[in-house]
Parts: sequence; structure tokens; C-alpha cells
Amino acid sequence: MAEKFKLNDHERETLIFNRRMIVAGIVVLLLLAALASWMAYLQIYRYEYFAARSDGNRLHSQYVSPNRGLIYDRNGVLLAENRPIFNLTVVRETATNLDVSLDLLRSVINLSDDDIEQYRTRQSRRAVPHTSVPLRYQLSEEEIAAIAVNQHMLPGFAVEAQLVRHYPFGGMSAHAIGYVSEINKEELEAMTPEQAANYRGTHQIGKTGIEKTYEDMLLGTVGYETVEKNNRGQVMRVLDRTDPLPGRDIVLHLDSRLQAAAERALGERRGAVVAIDPSTGGVLAMVSKPGYDPNLFVTGISREQLADLNRSGHTPLFNRAIASRVPGSTIKPFVGLAGLYNGVITPETVIGDPGYFRLQGRARPYYDWTWWVDKSGHGAIDLRRAIYQSCNTYFYQLAVDLGIDRIHDYLLTFGFGQNLAIDIPEASSGIVPSEAWKRENRNEPWYVGETPYEGIGNGIFQATTLQMASAAAAIANHGVIKQPRLLKGTIGSDGEITDVIFEDTAASRQLLPTQEQIELVRNAMVDVVNKPYDPNARRYEGSAYPVLRESGRPLPYPMGGKSGTAQVVEFRVDSAGNRDESEVDERFRTHAMFIAFDASEKSRIAVAVFVENGGGGGSVAFPVAREVLDAYLLPEGEQYPEVSLAAYDAADELDHDHDH
Amino acid sequence: MATRSSSRPLGDRFYQLSTGRGELWQSLRIDPPLVLSLLCLAAYGLLVLFSASGENVADVQRQAAAIVVAFVVMTAVAQLEVDFFRRGAPLMFVGGLLVLGVVLAIGSEVNGAKAWLDLPGLPSFQPSELEKFLVPMMLAWYMSTRSLPPKFKDLVVCGVIILIPAVLILLQNDTGTALMVIMSGVFTVLLAGISWKIVFAGITAVLAASPAWYIFLAQPHQKNRILTFFDPYRDPTGAGYNIIQSQIAIGSGGLQGKGWLNGAQSQLDFIPESNTDFILAVLAEEFGLLGVLFLIFLYLLVLGRGFYIALTAQDTFSRLLAGSIVLTFFFYAFVNMAMVSGLMPVVGLPLPLVSKGGTSIVTLLIGFGILMSIQTHKRVLPR
Repeated sequence: MAEKFKLNDHERETLIFNRRMIVAGIVVLLLLAALASWMAYLQIYRYEYFAARSDGNRLHSQYVSPNRGLIYDRNGVLLAENRPIFNLTVVRETATNLDVSLDLLRSVINLSDDDIEQYRTRQSRRAVPHTSVPLRYQLSEEEIAAIAVNQHMLPGFAVEAQLVRHYPFGGMSAHAIGYVSEINKEELEAMTPEQAANYRGTHQIGKTGIEKTYEDMLLGTVGYETVEKNNRGQVMRVLDRTDPLPGRDIVLHLDSRLQAAAERALGERRGAVVAIDPSTGGVLAMVSKPGYDPNLFVTGISREQLADLNRSGHTPLFNRAIASRVPGSTIKPFVGLAGLYNGVITPETVIGDPGYFRLQGRARPYYDWTWWVDKSGHGAIDLRRAIYQSCNTYFYQLAVDLGIDRIHDYLLTFGFGQNLAIDIPEASSGIVPSEAWKRENRNEPWYVGETPYEGIGNGIFQATTLQMASAAAAIANHGVIKQPRLLKGTIGSDGEITDVIFEDTAASRQLLPTQEQIELVRNAMVDVVNKPYDPNARRYEGSAYPVLRESGRPLPYPMGGKSGTAQVVEFRVDSAGNRDESEVDERFRTHAMFIAFDASEKSRIAVAVFVENGGGGGSVAFPVAREVLDAYLLPEGEQYPEVSLAAYDAADELDHDHDH
Repeated sequence: MATRSSSRPLGDRFYQLSTGRGELWQSLRIDPPLVLSLLCLAAYGLLVLFSASGENVADVQRQAAAIVVAFVVMTAVAQLEVDFFRRGAPLMFVGGLLVLGVVLAIGSEVNGAKAWLDLPGLPSFQPSELEKFLVPMMLAWYMSTRSLPPKFKDLVVCGVIILIPAVLILLQNDTGTALMVIMSGVFTVLLAGISWKIVFAGITAVLAASPAWYIFLAQPHQKNRILTFFDPYRDPTGAGYNIIQSQIAIGSGGLQGKGWLNGAQSQLDFIPESNTDFILAVLAEEFGLLGVLFLIFLYLLVLGRGFYIALTAQDTFSRLLAGSIVLTFFFYAFVNMAMVSGLMPVVGLPLPLVSKGGTSIVTLLIGFGILMSIQTHKRVLPR
């Protein structure tokens, strides 16, 4: 009985266990079937979705930035090139612990709050996900090594090589060439979608000067590539690539040696020099002082650096060469031509100069500079002598005889009152007053009493240094005006230079005087520099001649010119600028001007010099103009002082070493 | 009475199947169907591991070596008599508890769990892993001294047997292993014929208590895992990243897969833990649904043979122990596959016999060694 019970019990237990095992087996099968169904759902039903997600993970479109076109001067000297720099970049999606990484970086490389703030701005503007954004530009070799050592603690961070703009001469041609810098939101928003697409691979855009004007030509066309990236954002394979089209290389009319000479001639003074090739209108030099180093802007100027630039109070970023100024007596040859053209005077017309001019029926005298020297005048004087002696009385009279509107009409011929330059859009137009202009702009009638001042360039009239150089070039070129231009040609992929032909609207000017009239004024301007002092005939020497004689270096080439001195505050000075101004506060000194040209039959260069608060045009601006002409017209080895670009190379290297 | 007589023919057929054939294997204490299906699984696993490890030959060699060692250990365990396990169960259980205590005192910490024992001259190992057999063994021994189904008093004893090691393992901060140990115990009790009422009451109690657990006891990382399970996209680059990338890999594998070594997600490192816990994602991406079904089929082979061994075992102790080992193995595989494919919250469990890791394979095959011992040490019963 006990035996049987035990056996039954055993069977019962087996039965219980077997039943449970069968239930468990069913549950196991059900669960595995459910799992298989779920897998089938993921892998069959939702296959398309996950396949797309998988491709989205690994496939990335990258934009390949085109190499920006190079800028050469007329002699093939490189003015703007592309240099490789190493940048620290971040892919936000893979930088899993950005703040910790940034803290670490701060301790191993030079990384300022400013850098981080600028990075965050760039990050917020980034259009394409999973692309890298620069955090710090121009890493030093030590920094690259420090980042490599800590790379495992810096997910999402990478050192990338990038070609960036570099200006080998630093500040030398900054105002002409301009600079590139980071694209800002406003610039992107102003573009059409097609234009903006072309900036996908580029961080930079031309901001001023040639870099801005010829942005489209220099930029090139962006390329694309489809790459496969791994989880850390490393590119594993390039699957498809459309190469970018590099930007056009361009050649400018600028002459680097002349530019260097002009810069040196101005020295530490504020001012501008513009030199133009009269036969083509090509701008050979355009200098504005003080200058700045455009390289600072390329990778984003720091607040500190910008503050340094502005601290001087001398506005180095401001281009003085294209800013309007009262031109002083440098306007006289053009007013003289206006008189000849309108028949108001002839070359033989002689007036009497008692040292001052009075309007008909008015008591107020307008003084000649001679009055302030010895209360005398020039006596009987014709146009030629009035120009080389810079006689005010003659031009007071002529201006009144012409009337403001005829002066206005005629001065427009020479490119005043408009920006005649083809490719310098930032240039000011200046002011050429007329009765209508004054009513419109000042809401006042024209007073006859104002007209005499317009004859000597100390009234409302204003012109830029560029305009003065261009007008001087027109006289040097025997009356044929060429629109100023910087671009000379482009370089094709075969290395051939193709000259750019601009449509020149100035060549067909209607108001040009006759050839004899032009030659008379041209010769009078040659007298300004060359007519020697004659002890027997007082005041028959050129107004700039004494300065030339004092220099002890006779001119080895024919030169014409005209000095000018613009008043900053009301007091009279002679037009040669020989008045002692050393007692006057620097800011209230007169501006010194000089226009000059190569007076050979076929003139090769015309120059305008402007020295801010420099003093007298003859004593201060004339030597600058001469130094510039020397540099261009004299062969190397005969120049005084010699011009060399080597100094810039050395400075450039030094500058590069100090970057960050 | 009717149920008793109807079970007889079924039992007879099992007895016939297990006797009279394969005497050579029998004497070697090896069960060829089980060993073959396990070998297939391991080979399939090596193939996937080669791809998942980024074609790292050294990794594959180390894994292969671990597999060889594990098979040797399995065969060695199979040489032991079932009686050895039965008689030794209480002693081994108590010994196991002592070792757990030692681990708590001097164990070393890996990944936050103080579960490893570093003894000089021995490879470091995790004593808690063995509890997955010691607990069912102890329960099976206890149950075999009582008559089935267990009474309430027996259940209390069983609860104590399960909870003591579970608590010790929880104190080591190793929730995953504790869960597996509890489950291995629960499976034993379930197979012993615990009343369904108690089972459902227990399930209801767990479900009812879970909100309280979630609010008062769950640690932040546990809460995070549960939240992530319900919505991986609440933190797609953080907590949800693993499961999102894993699902992308599985889904983009399609029916046929992208081909061996060609899984973009796997080869480009988008799948984290791709050669350990998440290796199924690599398999599914490269071999597609067909590869997944083949894996499930191989698991079914192992499970089927395990079920057969459990059902044909000769006594209560053997049956309960074998059944519990098989179900624990299934639970392991299922939880991993469900977690990698997004059906369950992420818990750190490897895919048995496929994931990289020697300890896991050796432990698993110790279990199958016990199964083989049960299968090959049968006595011819008096008819």
C-alpha cells in the first residue's frame, strides 16, 4: 500500500511537471513567435523608413569650398593669396559633452571667451547639420599637439586645414584691395537663394575694396561631395564628388613698388595718395594713412584688436583717398579751363591785381595771399601766371565772371560731383555746388558773395583725392579723360592674362576745351614746379619752385603740378603754404594738397596727394608727390630714397609669427 | 484517476527514446543533439562577432578559445552523477552564500557592480553567476523531499531560498544578475506545480507594486531606462541613442540583410556595445530577417532538446533542475532580443552564446553540462 502510494505519487508529480513544461513550452513558442513578428514588422514593414534613417546616419553632403581667386599687381606681384591654416572645429552632434570639452581646451590651448562666443554665433547660423563649425582659427603647432594628446576626451572636435586669405603686404594696399571676413547674417539674407547656395562651403566674403567689388569673380563655384561618415563624424569614404570651380585670378593696375613708395612718402602723417596712369585711367597706387592690417579681419577680428584700431582716434579703417575734401587751389587750373571754354577769358586776358578783389558795389575785400605777405598784389596778370603763381584775385574775378552754374557745368566734365571710378563703388561723389544744388540741399539761394571762394577751391566745392588725381590725369593726357579703374585683367586657366575692356563713358565728354587751351593750362602747371625764381621780376616764379630748389635735387624729368591748401578754420594763408603754422593746434592746421603729373608728351602718371592737417600744399604735399613720381619714373638705383618691397616681406614673416 | 492512466503511454515513449541507442555517447556522458545545436549557435555567434568587432581576429580567437574551454567544462560537469548535485545541493548552496558574503567584503568593482572576485592565480570571476544553478538546485532538492505540488509552507521556504542570495546580489549592486537568479528560482517553483491562483496573485501583486517601486525605490538610471523604453526620442543622442540606432540597424537590414561585414550601422560604429549586448543588431542588419529567424531556429533546437531532457528526466529533482535551466536560458535569450529590438527596457544582458564574453559562455555551458549529466546518467527503471 505504501509502495503503491509512493508510485502513484511519483506519477502524479510527473504529470504535474509535464503539464507545466508543456505550458512553458507553449509560452516559449508564443513569445518567440511574437519576437519574430516584431522583427518582421521592423525589417519588412518598416524597412523603407529604417533604411532611409540608416542612410541619413552615414551619408552626408559636404560642400567643397572653391579656392578664392588670387590678386596680382601689374607686375605679377601677389597682393592676396590663400594660405593653409589649421583650425579647431566642432561637429555639435558628436560633441557629446561640449562644456566639459571646452573647459579642458581652455586649459591646454589659448581659447578666449570671445572665441567661444563667436563660435556660438557661427553655430547658430549653421545651415547643414553634422557639419563642422570653426572654434579657433590658426592653431600653433604646440596647440595642435596639445589637442592631439587630449583627442580622446574631445569627441566631436577636430583640427582641420583650411585655405584662408592672406595679404602678404599687410596694410600696404589695404584700402585698395580691401579684405575678406566672415559672412554675416545680413549679407546672407540679402542674397538670392542661388547666391547663398554658392556660399555653403565658404565662411568668408569680400567686405571692402576689390575683394568686395569683384566678389563674384573671385569666389568661384562651390563643389559638392557625398561622403560616408562614421559615428564620430570621420569621413570614411567619398562616394560622389563635383569639384568646385576656383575663382578667377585677377590682375590690378596697382604697382606695389609705387604703393610702397607712396606709403613711405606719407610717413606717419594722415592722408592719401592716388596715382593714375593717364592713358588708361588705371589706378597705379591708392594709399590711405593710417592703414591697418587686413589679415586681422580674415579669421574674425577680436574685440580687443578692433578696440586697438579705433583707440588711435585716427580712423585707420576710413579710406581717405575716396573721401571728399575742400581742394584748395588745386582746383584753379580747372576753373581756368572753364573760363577759356566759355570764352569769358582768353590766354591773353590780363587783369590788375592790387592784392585783393572786390565785388561790384560791395565794400568787402577778398584778399590775395600776397596781401598777407606785404600788402601788395601781382599787378597785371594773365591766366598762365595766375596758375603758376596761384593768384587768388584772378580766380575770384574769373569765378564771378563765369557764375556758379557755368563753373558747375564745366567741373562735371572732369569727373567732379560724381563717382567716375568704374570699380570703386565706395568712393564719395564730392560736391559741385550750383544755384539749384544749394536750394535743394541747403534750402538757401546762392549768394554772389560765395562765388569768389569757389574760384580758389575754398568754398562749398569738395572733391576726393581720387577725383583730383583723375582730373590731373586728364590734363596730363592732353584733355582726354579716362574713368579710373583698378582691375586690369583676368588670368585664364591657361595662365594667359586677358585685359578687361570697360565701356568708358567719360571719353566722349562734350565740354572739353580746345587743344591750345589745354596745352596752355598744362604748361602753366609745369611752370608751377619749374619756373625759376628771377630776382629782377618779382612773383614770376612757380609757387612750388622754392621747395624744389631747397631740396637740392633738380627734376630729371618734366613735371607739372599744382599745390593747394584748404582751410580748416577761418584764417588766410598763402597758397604755397609757407606760413608758419607750428603754433597752431595740429587739428586746426590746413590740409595740404598737391596734384602732379609726368609732363612728357605721353604722360605716364598723374598723382594727387592729400595730407590731413599737413600745413601748406607746396611745402608738405609737393615733396610727397615728387617722391611718388620719382619711384615710378626713375629707374631703380637712381631713386631717392630707393624703394624696396623686401622690408614688407620681413615684416610679414614677423607678423605671421605673432599670430595668436 | 483518469489523468494518471492516460499519462502512462506518453511516459513510456519517452523512456523508449532515451534507452538503447547511442551507448558510446552515453558512456562519454555527451548528448550529441544538444552539443551539436550548441556548437552551431556558437559558430554562428563567432561569424557575427567577427563582423561586430570590426574584423578583429584577436577578439574572435579569444572568444573561440573561451568556447573550447566552456565545452570542456560542460563535458566535465556532465561526468558528475545527478546524485552528486542532489546530495551536494544544500552544501553548495550554503557555500555559495558564503562566497557571496566574501565578495561583498573583498570583491572588486566593475561597471558599478561589486560582484567580482579577484583571487591570486585565478581569472577573476563572478560568483553570483553560479547562483543561477545553485538556487534551482537547492529548490529542486527541497522540493524532491516533499510531495508535489508544493504547499504554502513549502512556498515560504522556497521564497527564503530565493531571497537570501538575491538580496546578497542586490547588495552587490548587480540588479541584472539578481533578476536572473530570482527568475531561475521562480521557474523552478512554477514547474513544481505551484497553484495557478498563487501565480496570478503573484503577478497581480508585482504589477500593483510596480508603481510604488517606481516612485519610491527605483534609482534614477532605472527610471531613465523605463522612460526611454516608452519614448526613445525624449533624449535621442543620450539615453535613447542605443535603442534608436539599434532599431535603425535592425530595420534597415530588411529581409536578406546588407551582407556579412557590410552593415553600415555596425561598421561605422553607430551601434554601441555592438559586440556584446547589442550584437543582435549587427546580426539583424547584416543577415536580415532570415538571419534572425535562423538564430531563433538554433535557439529552438537547443530549447527543444532541453525540454526533451527535462521531460524524460527520471526524478523530480532532475526534472525541476533541468526545466529551470532550460527556461532560464530561454529567458536570457528572449530578454536580450526583446531589449535590443525595443520590446523591453534596456537591461544589461548578453545574447547567450553569441555576445562576446568568456564568463557568460562558461557559465551557460555549466548549465548545459548539468543537463547532459541528467540525460546521460539515467538508470534503467524496474518495470
